[in-house]
Amino acid sequence: MDPFETLALPRRFGLDLKLAEARHLELSKTLHPDRYVGAPPNERRLALSRAVEVNEAWRALRDPIKRAEAILRLSGLEAEVGETREPKPSGAFLMEVMEAREALEEAKASRDAARVEGVVREARAQLGDAERALARAIDPVLDQGGGAAELRAAIPLLGRLRYAARLLEEARNAEDDLM
Amino acid sequence: MAYSDKVIDHYENPRNVGTLDKNDENVGTGLVGAPACGDVMRLQIKVEEGKIVDAKFKTFGCGSAIASSSLATEWLKGKSVEEAEEIKNTAIVEELNLPPVKIHCSVLAEDAIKSAIADYRAKQASRKKAAAE
Repeated sequence: MDPFETLALPRRFGLDLKLAEARHLELSKTLHPDRYVGAPPNERRLALSRAVEVNEAWRALRDPIKRAEAILRLSGLEAEVGETREPKPSGAFLMEVMEAREALEEAKASRDAARVEGVVREARAQLGDAERALARAIDPVLDQGGGAAELRAAIPLLGRLRYAARLLEEARNAEDDLM
Repeated sequence: MAYSDKVIDHYENPRNVGTLDKNDENVGTGLVGAPACGDVMRLQIKVEEGKIVDAKFKTFGCGSAIASSSLATEWLKGKSVEEAEEIKNTAIVEELNLPPVKIHCSVLAEDAIKSAIADYRAKQASRKKAAAE
């Protein structure tokens, strides 16, 4: 499935999320089962499966990780994304990840809400940086009709985005625990 | 997904969690990560006269990743560096009954062992070189 095609949106990482959400709502309304009361069963079934597809497309596009994965898959890099297939992160980057996770663990253990909040801010900043880097690595390539060879460089950036998302998730959990 | 009893045991009572002095020339540090899950794993060995006398780990990841590295440190202690090099991820999979979707966690642990040994060897080589000069 191409979630961009389903919502009739241009294939881009730097997506207009407001427009994507509006498309999702609009199509969901059009395909709502209430509008198919009394319609032939095959039409009802078709509308239902289209509605499911529209929901899936919106879920895939609103999450930057899934959006990047979708673009890379659709560009012929399916076999290089996910599980153990992605390139190993650099030692320096892993050191930063380890330090951030250990700092969060310490802040959690000492119930230091200010430090946990600091990690949340740090994770948000990392997430923003990774998203911007991905947009720079993906969108100009797509605009110029480039493909897998040029987009391969975006895979390590997707890794950075996932690490940032994990840090944010853990930091938010810690925040909840301290409340 | 159901974890095996052995995974749960290592997850709840991880062995050898901690840090060794990474600047100690007898300590090798392996730092590896799985970007697809956002996991990071550090595994360290301390070697004396060719034998691994201590091993520590720190893993931020799922239960299987924690269990794989915890088990690895248990296995490493008392082994020679050469024996340690022979540890295969498939042995970890077997011992912990890891399901197919979690095999990559054992691969990560094997990578961490290899990377710690490589770091230890690089330190020894540069020490020998320094001594020769």
